Amino acid sequence: MAGVGFQRWVRTLSKGKISGISGLLPACRPASGVSKDMLPGAYPKTPEEIAAAAKKYNIRVEDYKPLADNGEGYGDYPQLPDKSQQDRDPTYQWDHPDLRRNWGEPMHWDFDMYIRNRVDTSPTVVPWSTMCKQLFGFLGFMMFMFYLGDKFPAYQPVGPKQFPFNNLHLERGGSPDVDPEEVKNYEI
Amino acid sequence: MSSLGRAVGLLRAGTNALRRGPQKTVTRKAGGGPHIEPQYRQYPQVTKNQKIQAEILSSTMWFWILWHFWHSSDDVLGHFAWPDASQWTDEELGIPADDEE
Amino acid sequence: MHPTTLMYTSSLLLMFAILLYPLLVTFTSLPLNNDWASSHAKTAVKTAFLISLAPLSLFLSSGMETVTSSWTWMVTTTLDITLSFKFDYYSIIFIPIALYVTWSILEFATWYMHADPLINRFFKYLLTFLVAMLILVSANNLFQLFIGWEGVGIMSFLLIGWWHGRADANTAALQAVLYNRVGDIGLILGMAWLATNVNSWDIQQMFILSKNLDLTLPLLGLILAATGKSAQFGLHPWLPAAMEGPTPVSALLHSSTMVVAGIFLLIRLSPLMENNQTALSLCLCLGALTTMFTATCALTQNDIKKIVAFSTSSQLGLMMVTIGLNQPQLAFLHICTHAFFKAMLFLCSGSVIHSLNDEQDIRKMGGLHHLAPFTSSCLTVGSLALTGTPFLAGFFSKDAIIEALNTSQVNAWALTLTLIATSFTAIYSLRVIFFVTMGTPRFLPSSPINENNSAVINPLKRLAWGSIFGGLLIMLNTNLFKTPVLTMPTELKLAALAVSILGLLIALELATLTTKQLKVTPLQVSHHFSNSLGFIPAIIHRQAPQLSLILGQKIASQMVDQTWLEKTGPKAIANATTPLAAATSNIQQGLIKTYLTLFLITLILVTLISVA
Repeated sequence: MAGVGFQRWVRTLSKGKISGISGLLPACRPASGVSKDMLPGAYPKTPEEIAAAAKKYNIRVEDYKPLADNGEGYGDYPQLPDKSQQDRDPTYQWDHPDLRRNWGEPMHWDFDMYIRNRVDTSPTVVPWSTMCKQLFGFLGFMMFMFYLGDKFPAYQPVGPKQFPFNNLHLERGGSPDVDPEEVKNYEI
Repeated sequence: MSSLGRAVGLLRAGTNALRRGPQKTVTRKAGGGPHIEPQYRQYPQVTKNQKIQAEILSSTMWFWILWHFWHSSDDVLGHFAWPDASQWTDEELGIPADDEE
Repeated sequence: MHPTTLMYTSSLLLMFAILLYPLLVTFTSLPLNNDWASSHAKTAVKTAFLISLAPLSLFLSSGMETVTSSWTWMVTTTLDITLSFKFDYYSIIFIPIALYVTWSILEFATWYMHADPLINRFFKYLLTFLVAMLILVSANNLFQLFIGWEGVGIMSFLLIGWWHGRADANTAALQAVLYNRVGDIGLILGMAWLATNVNSWDIQQMFILSKNLDLTLPLLGLILAATGKSAQFGLHPWLPAAMEGPTPVSALLHSSTMVVAGIFLLIRLSPLMENNQTALSLCLCLGALTTMFTATCALTQNDIKKIVAFSTSSQLGLMMVTIGLNQPQLAFLHICTHAFFKAMLFLCSGSVIHSLNDEQDIRKMGGLHHLAPFTSSCLTVGSLALTGTPFLAGFFSKDAIIEALNTSQVNAWALTLTLIATSFTAIYSLRVIFFVTMGTPRFLPSSPINENNSAVINPLKRLAWGSIFGGLLIMLNTNLFKTPVLTMPTELKLAALAVSILGLLIALELATLTTKQLKVTPLQVSHHFSNSLGFIPAIIHRQAPQLSLILGQKIASQMVDQTWLEKTGPKAIANATTPLAAATSNIQQGLIKTYLTLFLITLILVTLISVA
């Protein structure tokens, strides 16, 4: 790659068409910034401007609706429906079947969000609110039941634990001088 | 004995006729390569070896299960009985009889 | 050095060398043979398995505890990092099992992936995956363990996304790697905490030095790590999604590598956890929730691989419950027995899927008992072993776990959930058997059914023997550190079996109902909940990326740019200077004489002051 670039460079120099610094630089567009024709134009106001913008974005005039002109620099960029690529028809003959996209089709402003690996907007079997209610209800119920289960463990001992040495009198910090009271575990 | 032989012969003929089926002219070789020739509405070529191996496997499993059930059923049913406190006699517990004062 | 120790270490290192050789060969520029996959990769794993039997038999006969071989890797002032392999009970038993299972899977893959043009690369990935897992298992310090941990993570990404031309496979691979990153946060947190407070990553030293420390925070990190890797509730959705990968990958991923890594981490570090009640009860509840939830999801899935995947997740939950019971050895036993039958179930489903022209929906199968008898037998054996049928592999670990659960003082709800999940295991296992092998065929009439290939039969047979005999063999050679409770009421003893049989009966009843078409789908609400995986993918996978991407777009791309350009940057300077310029130019009235006078006066004043 570098070799090719160098050759081209030498050739340009040897031809001597362009002199000075600009001749030394490889003839390519800077990577920073976008060119004028890639930026959206001004917000369309007249019907003619709207028609021109719709044509520019390959949309029919009826479908064209620019994003709100609230000073965020959207210009004449069209507002497209918030539908993900995953939501599109998988059986249609797309120009890019992996992207589910046709050539020259306008991109959604948030196209990077709606690619097939990311946000999916395809319809679900159950409405959103029901899904949330059921999932969080399930989680809440489980948490509550774990709390209850912790309060009432499954193993219920028949009696309290019994330990030798007067129920571990010394080990539990009892005074060696005081004799612990006799515990009777049974009665006849 | 002869009648038995005849019966077996008849059975064999019958099974042969059944096995031959209405039309079975194409011979295909199942096995060998990972992919077989395409076939449509045909019974897959199941070899005897396959069937026998399957039977051996299943019967080994059942033999293993049943043999262990016979010989070490306590793995499933419990090793030691849970003591039933109500069955303990006073004598075992060392409790003197009521009339002994 | 003692001769046994010497032989131990040398044979295990030889095993590593044999596994690494084919991997290193692929780095040369020479093209690989077409049959490199079966002649080199598979043979290497097979040889390594046979070699690993030597230390296993030495271990079992000599009763040795642990052999650690370490070389100093790097020394810093506070923390020494060694290259240290630990060959103890866990790694010595697990390595042969992993190699045995992988050997079978690789052999099966030579058949399953036969038409793949990149089969050599596929085998290379599988081999790397295995080596990473073995590094993880035999690691004696956390640094080495982390290498293995990340190794299986990245290899799983490559393998799940093997068919990267499909967007679904890409999504699944991304999910796997992202969920694992969440877990890695926990592992790194735990490691960092241990490095700062214990000053060691060596496992024995950590156990000794951390005796008097409150370990709750690092343990939470480690549990998070295990949650991510072993697909516990909350971080589980990647596991069913990973079914987008080729079936041999699923088999390897779910049986002996990757998903058990998280549980294995907790088993390895269980001495840290055994006195921390918070961590233990968290493990218990998390595991119980996982095992129940994923078993519920498995009930209504129609994709055969998804069912098997959810059953893995459910078994992983059971292992987590066992860790929570403070019985790491039982969890380890379950890992070992589970490897056999889970690998076999996946290989069976691979065989079925291939035979039916890549059909994965169990509703479109049926009648395979006659058409593919060997696969059906193996499927049945595997499902029975999974259910915990007495004396098959799953019984020895599963029954022990449930008995331990029944006889300890434990969260009642966790116990209930685990028992329900055990019952569900029987239900979905029988459902698979019923729909795949029994009944009449419901598939297309042009299905290339052919299991009559040694690369199908042999691996299945090997794993089937493992599933039948493996449990008892492993159990007989295990000395449990904690004595199991043998005396218990008969009801508790039979509880595991009873819930399984109950599940089987329910499943049989439900399955026969499906052939009668009484109602289309009864119980819509619970069906949707279970079939849509508890709505977790639908809610979380849509909401979380949408939120973050919208925020990213709004904040990074628009608001920040606007702030710089319009509020603080060029436009702001322009806006700020305009009034100043206007004010200045308003002051400038053209009074040259006044200005000059002022200038002179100032100059004179300054000169006077400086002279005086």
